[in-house]
Amino acid sequence: MIHAQNLTKRYGDRVALDHVSFDVKPGMVTGFLGPNGAGKSTTMRLIVGLDRASEGDVTVNGKHYSEHRAPLREVGVLLDAKAVHRGRSAFDHLLAMGATHGIGKKRVDEVIALTGLESVAKKRVGGFSLGMGQRLGIAAALLGDPATLILDEPVNGLDPEGVVWVRNLAKHLAREGRTVFLSSHLMSEMAQTADHIIVLGRGRVIADESVDKVLARAKGDGVRVRTPQVAELTPLLNTAGVTVTGTAADLLEVHGLPSSRIGEIAASQGLVLHELTPLAGSLEDAYMALTADEVEYRDTAAAPSTATKNSEVVR
Amino acid sequence: MSTATAPAPSRSSTHSTLSRLTFGGILRSEWIKLRSLRSTFWCYLLILVLNIGFAALVASVGVGSGGGPGDGSTTSTAAGSGMANATVAVTLGINFTVLIAAVLGALMITGEYGTGMIKSTFAADPRRLGALFGKAIVFGVVTFVVGLVSLVIATLVATPLLDSESNISIDWSDGSFWLALVGGAGFLALAGLISLFLGAIIRASAGGIAAGIGLLFVMPIVLQIFTGLTNAKWAANIASFLPSNAGGLMFGYSAGEAKVVDGIVTLDQFFGFLVMVGWVILTGILAVVLVKRRDA
Repeated sequence: MIHAQNLTKRYGDRVALDHVSFDVKPGMVTGFLGPNGAGKSTTMRLIVGLDRASEGDVTVNGKHYSEHRAPLREVGVLLDAKAVHRGRSAFDHLLAMGATHGIGKKRVDEVIALTGLESVAKKRVGGFSLGMGQRLGIAAALLGDPATLILDEPVNGLDPEGVVWVRNLAKHLAREGRTVFLSSHLMSEMAQTADHIIVLGRGRVIADESVDKVLARAKGDGVRVRTPQVAELTPLLNTAGVTVTGTAADLLEVHGLPSSRIGEIAASQGLVLHELTPLAGSLEDAYMALTADEVEYRDTAAAPSTATKNSEVVR
Repeated sequence: MSTATAPAPSRSSTHSTLSRLTFGGILRSEWIKLRSLRSTFWCYLLILVLNIGFAALVASVGVGSGGGPGDGSTTSTAAGSGMANATVAVTLGINFTVLIAAVLGALMITGEYGTGMIKSTFAADPRRLGALFGKAIVFGVVTFVVGLVSLVIATLVATPLLDSESNISIDWSDGSFWLALVGGAGFLALAGLISLFLGAIIRASAGGIAAGIGLLFVMPIVLQIFTGLTNAKWAANIASFLPSNAGGLMFGYSAGEAKVVDGIVTLDQFFGFLVMVGWVILTGILAVVLVKRRDA
């Protein structure tokens, strides 16, 4: 359980996090989404006390991270892949990390096996690929067998096989009752992994709900209908509460009627349909809509108008 | 890279009961870190080789059997100044190897900032000071031991040469001689620690090394030139309290007496040691405050 309350971080004049509050619950995978620069990494650094909050507070299982007697057993964290000395071997890195908590060689070998690093464990980290560095970071996070896992962009640089592995690992750990908190800037990745999503945009929480809800909202109720008899079909569908828009000569987009009903109406009049497709709005679309105003690089271009708009959205 | 199957990391019970963060654990961790980098190994090897090499070189050239310029030696007996000369020969390398100790000290911590390792270190010890002191202790002890071993070997290597070239026989029961050896090793460790704390303050490798070397090597020269030009007593007095000058007394043979003559301070071996400790504490306090306060 991670509990953040009014978490604020300022770097000089720049506000990286603006009174962010949220809970990350155990037993499920919580995705942390947002465009680059939204404040995801900053939040994670604040949770483990690497940065100090300008305002507000964050606790893990009721205590500040630094107050735990065995921090590595409480929280496993992957912040930067390669928060590792390049001149040291993966094995020695993990051994040194574990030694602080009396975690020995046996567990180090376990996490090396778990992350598939056996063949390179004795090699210097400087020569690691991004993917191997990522696996080492995950191995380090798992070292203390922690109750809470915080993984910042864990699939970054992993091959497809590795991506699936991380996905399964996160789900598996959550099923064991652990708190799993992972960030990504890719909604599609979260959709397949997370149960709950917190979306951050320019230092503020802009959504905090279950993936199912986000999906349901994103889906909408549109149906795409392709027919050579547009002129005949349109008036039949065009009843109260239904909108029909022609998007091409033989193409209609219908809102307010399920595809089954449209099919029945067409059949009853003997009209030909070439296509009848419920439009599943993607999570990606929902995410884009949510964060459209929050993408940081737009700051300079339209600062005053977007700023006011954002504050309205949040309030 | 073949493990893509579903993982099975159940919360294993093997290490779950007793394992928690301890200072002993941090010390072990820092020891593992120190011995697992090649740069540390090469630096210590270099300290060993240079300390022994310089002793052998000087001893083989000959240092004069008595009455020579025995580095502040006030002992007037022939045997005493012989031992003083022997001490100079054996500890000469320290003047150079302290440079390596300073570089290594700075790298102990700036290497972690430079690579991002410091985040892992502070994640494991979120209160941070354990990690900082753990590093300092492990580095200090190892440097002291390497320094002392190198000086003892240097003495063994130099003994026959001093005997044949300068007619000096090393008296192993001479307490002042041992004190100089221990002082030399201690100087290496303390100078390295000053550099380590400067590294923690500055965080960048280049800056940390520059600060350490600047304080140890450049400052004395600048002050010496300044004193030479202006004859300012205050500049001479500041110079006596610089780590290199004060610490240099630590490996002198019965190095003088502490006194103030004509407004100019002279330190002795023990005061030299105290001044070095003072520098370590001063930079250490600054490092503690900054490491504790800053974002990693």
